[in-house]
Amino acid sequence: MIDIILLIIESPFLQRALIGVFMIAIVASTSGSFLVFRGLSFMTSGVAHAALGGAALGLFLQASNIAPWFDPMLGALVFSVFVALVTGHAGETGIGEKMEVAVGVSFALSMSLAVFLMYYIPPVEVPGIWGYLVGDLLLLNNLDIIMLAGTAVLLLIAAILFNKEFVYVSVDMEGSTAQGLNARAYHYLMLITSALAIALATKAVGAILVYAILVAPAAASNELLGSVRSVMIAVFVIAVVSQVAGIAVSLSVRASPSAIAGILAAMSYVVALQIRKMRDRVHIDEELEQLLQPSGIEMLDAAEGRGHTHND
Amino acid sequence: MATESLLSAHDLAVRYPNGEIALHHVTFEVSSPSFMAIIGPNGSGKSTLLKTVLGLLKPLRGSVGLLGLDSVKNQSRIRKLVRYVPQRDRIELNVPMKVKDIVLMGRLVKKPPPRVASHEDKKAARSALQQVAMDEFWERPFPELSGGQRQRVLVARALAGEGPVLMLDEPLAGTDVDSQDLIVDALGVYHRENDVSIIMVTHDLNPIHTMVRDVLMLKNTVVGVGTPCDVMDPELVMSLYGPTAKIVEHSGHRYCVTQDSGVDRHD
Repeated sequence: MIDIILLIIESPFLQRALIGVFMIAIVASTSGSFLVFRGLSFMTSGVAHAALGGAALGLFLQASNIAPWFDPMLGALVFSVFVALVTGHAGETGIGEKMEVAVGVSFALSMSLAVFLMYYIPPVEVPGIWGYLVGDLLLLNNLDIIMLAGTAVLLLIAAILFNKEFVYVSVDMEGSTAQGLNARAYHYLMLITSALAIALATKAVGAILVYAILVAPAAASNELLGSVRSVMIAVFVIAVVSQVAGIAVSLSVRASPSAIAGILAAMSYVVALQIRKMRDRVHIDEELEQLLQPSGIEMLDAAEGRGHTHND
Repeated sequence: MATESLLSAHDLAVRYPNGEIALHHVTFEVSSPSFMAIIGPNGSGKSTLLKTVLGLLKPLRGSVGLLGLDSVKNQSRIRKLVRYVPQRDRIELNVPMKVKDIVLMGRLVKKPPPRVASHEDKKAARSALQQVAMDEFWERPFPELSGGQRQRVLVARALAGEGPVLMLDEPLAGTDVDSQDLIVDALGVYHRENDVSIIMVTHDLNPIHTMVRDVLMLKNTVVGVGTPCDVMDPELVMSLYGPTAKIVEHSGHRYCVTQDSGVDRHD
């Protein structure tokens, strides 16, 4: 144990990785949970790829000297918010399917723009664009941590302050609006903060880990747990455990921590589905048992008794 | 309050979100307090009328008002007065809500943040669930209930809330007979014992026609307004539901027989 603590104290990159783990877990338990509740898990992937388009635009504007001040990260964030706004607009009536289509369209638009602009960006800069999709827990720098922590804390505050509002907007947008809640504002707040966090998390730890950690634990917890709070806590725990396990394994075996964490997080969903299946089977057995309890048998007896008096 | 107008429209026209005209030349007035039913076949603009009153849709022409408040100018005041039950399929079942969370929502949605449930809120929620015989389900996950049970919980959400007008959009569509009876009885008793008006959109007047005071018949425009007995007229009913609609009399009441199923959406 002491060895591990010493190792962490001596390795700034491990410290950054562990802080990153907690920040990603916060993003997963807040925006990940709500995106899964709203049937919008695809938005995670949509936003990450839109960020890529934005980064490409930033690099293009810098390389062509049109707007040298335009940082690629700024482009990435602007495009992420664009996806959130388009999705939000499609979902103002509270219909999940329309939002899913909006994510798909804005995702395609941003990716196409990225590929289009790649022809006009100096070839040496092109790998930098893809850098917005690949990151690694063990390669986080201080700026990554500061930006990630900033949005994670913002998300956490929003989720604590407006937990009920976010839930109401997710469960019954029409009814909430009709009864005086400013549902539109909360709807957009939820989507925009999620989009910013997803974009920054993707830049920091890589797209695959972000998809896996944001979607799978929330989907797994939502299969098994019956309240919003318990789902959010469970997501946080699964996210931390799978990422820490990923780092631990990568220290002893030659493997990417993000890959291990991603596999573990995704497995949580598979395991949850199996548990759910087993639980349902037990429920069915119990229900069938109950039908054979005294009252049920009496009914059968009574039916048999009556059978003799039927006029066929 | 006795002579105040509950719901009134003047030359109202509204489009569905898909662009079709849902309502046109709608003019009527119903006084408050009332138990009012808005009836008509699928796609006749009943739900659209409710949504326009609540400011969820804007009038294309004319105006509609609730308790003398205009739907456009006084939108936020109207929303404070109304407890609304949308069509059941509008409720997202992917959110892990317990029955108590749904019912408490009826009260907390009108409170300022952080919307913490007080002892009084919980008491009102439990009492509302009792009225629809769902109090044993307090801790149960809402998405796991049957359709009829979910509808009863949504009605309880409205009963638990505050505000002088209850608006319900097809609360009886696709529910089992037991749930239907429980909902109708609960609403009838609640209307009698409290100073509230109820406006209910329904494709079928029969289950509620003994307790309803005013009926508005819609088929994209007003076909008839009056008491249930006034509107249970063979010609009116045929103009609303087509030539297969019939009026039958049973135990001194007139009932309407149609082939209409209920829920319709125009997104």
